[in-house]
Amino acid sequence: MNTRPLRLSAAIAVSGIAAVTLAACVVAGAGPGYGGYGGDVGMGAGVGYYEPIGGVYGLWAPGYQVGPYRDGGRGWVGGNGPHAYHTSHGVRSPPSIPSRSRSRR
Amino acid sequence: MRAEIHPRSSDSRSSNRSAILFRRGVLVALLAAAGIATASAEPLALLPALVAPASQEHHVGKVIFVELVTPDMAAAKQFYGGLFGWTFTDMQAGGLDYADASLSGHPVAGLIQRKLAAGEHRQPAWLSFIAVRDVDATNKEAVAHGAKVMYSPHNLPNRGREAVFADPQGAIFAVLTSSSGDPEDVMAAPGEWIWSSLITTNPDTAAAFYQTLFDYEIFELPGKPGMQHLMFASDNYARAGANSLPSDKAITPPHWLNYVRVDDTAAMTSKVIALGGKVLVEPRMDRHGGKVAVVADPSGAPFGLMEWPNAETKEVSK
Repeated sequence: MNTRPLRLSAAIAVSGIAAVTLAACVVAGAGPGYGGYGGDVGMGAGVGYYEPIGGVYGLWAPGYQVGPYRDGGRGWVGGNGPHAYHTSHGVRSPPSIPSRSRSRR
Repeated sequence: MRAEIHPRSSDSRSSNRSAILFRRGVLVALLAAAGIATASAEPLALLPALVAPASQEHHVGKVIFVELVTPDMAAAKQFYGGLFGWTFTDMQAGGLDYADASLSGHPVAGLIQRKLAAGEHRQPAWLSFIAVRDVDATNKEAVAHGAKVMYSPHNLPNRGREAVFADPQGAIFAVLTSSSGDPEDVMAAPGEWIWSSLITTNPDTAAAFYQTLFDYEIFELPGKPGMQHLMFASDNYARAGANSLPSDKAITPPHWLNYVRVDDTAAMTSKVIALGGKVLVEPRMDRHGGKVAVVADPSGAPFGLMEWPNAETKEVSK
């Protein structure tokens, strides 16, 4: 029995699979949106991420405040001591968030 | 194709047939590979423009968009839709499920589904996009001042150019030059994002870093001893705050936290629980006279709730 055609078919199949696999690998690593963050951060479509896992969210003690002033900083007494950042506003009080209603375009 | 032009021996014919079969096999394989390449390398779907119709407004330093990567898109849509009344438009982006969330016709967020592999322990989170005029220049500045580039500057059709960084203390944020301009400076409606906080190990040095990138004016607000609270401003508006990590900070890494405006924080925290989320920080009165709370969606992504009583706010003139 001549086994050559069988061996050749197997070789063809292996070549085909190898070529497909190689192409798939190339595609998986190409194009926008497939970059990997590595480390603790994973990348989805290039526009999102996961953070390192946290356990319990920090407890906010009384007096821990996060929001802005709403009244132009009434009661604000400044805070222009030595800082790593640059201060230029002098005695001007802190602004608040925008208050205007949305316009109709 | 003729295999035999001249008479040959059987070995010769067999060898020739083999060569033909091999070439055909390779051809089939290459065509198959090309087919896969074509199917997989489809371009990112056109994300909706940030502002429609496009505007000429630019507000450097303003948080202009937020995006959530979630392992369960269906659960996220059910949660945020039920909580805030957001509606969603589904699309495919780079082979991933993407949902554009809007409220009353205004885009409020993007949701991306990315499955977590078994045993993969990562924290779903909202990513803040801060407006810049030049992403590449910001990239250079950020790196020069100690940031780690998580995703290099790249274009997103219809959206603009963006990049993602970890600041020197590890908080992750993105910058975006929106090709349709930045959203106008208006009061957020209930269900829209109203405020952002950077909660970090050293607000002072973090403020210097962000000031370099966004040219913020920075104000130090009164707070408890040892707990710094800074405010970042641009265009004469408050844009974000920076707070010291709470004292039990060891288990919470530096991060950006975004707040959605609500009418009743306490009622909304109950709704969060009913929809499968968690309350991380119970409602509490804040500096502006409204209550804030921190909650997490069913996948664990934290975000804030903030009341903003309806009286007009004041813009302070320079």
